[in-house]
Amino acid sequence: MWFLVPAFAILLVFFVLPTLFNFVYAFTDWSGFKSEINPVGFDNFADLASNGTLFSALRITVVYAALVAVFQNLFGFALAVLLERDTRLNRVARVFFLIPVLMSALAVGYLFQALLKPDGGVNQLISAVARQPFDYAWLADTTWSIVVVALIHSWKWMGLSMLIYLAGLKTIPEDVMEAARIDGASRWRTFWAVRSPLLAPAVTFNVATALLGSMNGFDIVQATTGGGPARTTEILNIFIYRTFGQGLFAQATTMSLVLFLLVALMAFPVIHLLRKREEIL
Amino acid sequence: MKRWTRTVAVAAALTLGLAACSDPSAEGPTDTTVSWPAPTGRLDGVSLTIWAAQNSNTVPKKVIEGFQAATGARVEVVTIPDPYEQGIQTKVATGDKPDLAFWQPTASMLTAINARSNLQPLTDAPWLPAMAPQLRDITGLLDGTRYAALVTSPAVEGVYYNKEVFAAHGVTAPPKNFDEMVTVARQLKTKGVTPFYEMGADRWATQWWVQVQLADAAKNGLWDRINTGQEKFTDPTVLGAIKKYKALIDEGLFNPDIKTAKFEDQGAALLDGKAAMVVQVNSFFGQLQAKADTATLNKKIGFFPISPSGNVGTFIPDQSNALVAFATGEPKREAAARQLLAYWMGPGYQNFLADRNTVSLQTAVPDPAGVPQALRDVHAALPASVGSMQAQAVANPDLFLNLADMIAGTTTPEQAAKATQDQFAQLAKAAGVSGF
Repeated sequence: MWFLVPAFAILLVFFVLPTLFNFVYAFTDWSGFKSEINPVGFDNFADLASNGTLFSALRITVVYAALVAVFQNLFGFALAVLLERDTRLNRVARVFFLIPVLMSALAVGYLFQALLKPDGGVNQLISAVARQPFDYAWLADTTWSIVVVALIHSWKWMGLSMLIYLAGLKTIPEDVMEAARIDGASRWRTFWAVRSPLLAPAVTFNVATALLGSMNGFDIVQATTGGGPARTTEILNIFIYRTFGQGLFAQATTMSLVLFLLVALMAFPVIHLLRKREEIL
Repeated sequence: MKRWTRTVAVAAALTLGLAACSDPSAEGPTDTTVSWPAPTGRLDGVSLTIWAAQNSNTVPKKVIEGFQAATGARVEVVTIPDPYEQGIQTKVATGDKPDLAFWQPTASMLTAINARSNLQPLTDAPWLPAMAPQLRDITGLLDGTRYAALVTSPAVEGVYYNKEVFAAHGVTAPPKNFDEMVTVARQLKTKGVTPFYEMGADRWATQWWVQVQLADAAKNGLWDRINTGQEKFTDPTVLGAIKKYKALIDEGLFNPDIKTAKFEDQGAALLDGKAAMVVQVNSFFGQLQAKADTATLNKKIGFFPISPSGNVGTFIPDQSNALVAFATGEPKREAAARQLLAYWMGPGYQNFLADRNTVSLQTAVPDPAGVPQALRDVHAALPASVGSMQAQAVANPDLFLNLADMIAGTTTPEQAAKATQDQFAQLAKAAGVSGF
């Protein structure tokens, strides 16, 4: 029993206390401007609620998370289906799609930022193919940049989704497939009526991790747009980072508490719903 | 019973942890009498750390070489990644302090780093009598106490222009005030030149356009009124400046790609003569110096300060202009840090200027020969210029972000002013300013 003490001590100092402080400091006026830290009750929450920026950042965060969840699963699923058979080519291809997962998110962000500049590689390619100048600013469009950034995020993580869907596809029992074939189901029908439902656990995991992971996103957005243009991609973590940098530590803590609550609020229903789908198995 | 003791133990551990984690930057010096060691006294075995940003980490190179040779101390420069100020504030909040750091010497930024607790007062610094009188107290003070040492000429917001473009289109002398500048811009536009170049994508320079229009109001106490809540960013003075900026953009006096243009593009555009004028600060000229030599710059680039009433500049000292010394709690190292500053601004100053090729702040020390004319003009504008928002306001809101949003077309001038005022009030409240 006592040999667990060091492990729990580390857990306490590095996980329990910081989480606890996240709650405590949200109710204080901790800032970089003065030394005292005084309790202020719900002042920070009232301030944030009266300021439109928090709600706009929350809305952007949820939109971003939803986009990433959709794109990442679409790409991952498509890749898994395409690369399912164990040929040599497929094995090599799987490795290549997994490489972005291992790359630094900041590196990915800066890479795409360079590619998507008005005079960057992507536009040069389009110009060459279309044989006319093309200088669309992919990351400076107040409407579509959030979609572009969500696509980049999904591109980075789609390899992981692919891997999990692949594992899911591999565990489908051969006898079930054989039974479907004997019953005369077409390949299309087998795919939709037998294999897809059996992937439910993989879908649960992938959707939940993509959704919740991107709600906590920061690095890719920071490296590509930094929250711009005109803050249309300013997800909550970037807003928190900016507030913290202003020396408003308590307000930043309050926001991260709000983010924590939001993630928790979204996680439970989403996971519950997806689990419900698995029950038919 | 056993469970009860365990609960108590956990609770006690948590309380202990909480107590241990209270703000480590809490205590600090209150005494402001300071002793100044001789600049070249021996300091064997003492090592000092200087925090610098990516654009200031080479500034102290020559000074450090000289100081190490003269005193036997060891000085290490640690580069803190951008955004520099945020990184420092975070480190200091968690109790991590260097001996010295580059820091914007304005009252708002000295407040932001909690100078009273974290910094050493630099009262009666030995180099002060040697400083040019009009620059001595221009910045670095918070409530009458000196916390920062100005080492290079503070930045001035003003207009950098392409002399060749002006000459080619018959503009013989720089404009004498803001309206005259707009008239010149309209003339240039009819001749197919882009009059002004702005970098909407990199955002930070957008605020200069509003601040130069406020120079006269600043002279008449605008920031004092804003600091005490008597006037707001949403009142006609500031809002009017924002609206005028927007109107000039809508009129087409700026580069068509204003929303996507970056800092780099701005420098290239002015140097190539694609644009005639850029409202900017010294770091912009630093970019030009990286692209062209002094002879080319003297030939092509000029500078004039501007305000509604005339050629009044707006000064904005930045992080690369000054250093602060931290109160580390170790008297020996604190004294060594002061000694380094005394060496820098004393026996080491001439070499420092020559290495940096920059303007002297001391009357007895001449400027190095290779300083470009535009930089001399910027420095000459300094004594008559007024403090910027950063220099005079008690808090430093993200005016530039709100203006960039306006340029991108998502907000109106009224919304930009309101967002700035809201944030100003929030920061002022956090800083404990009365009335907020």
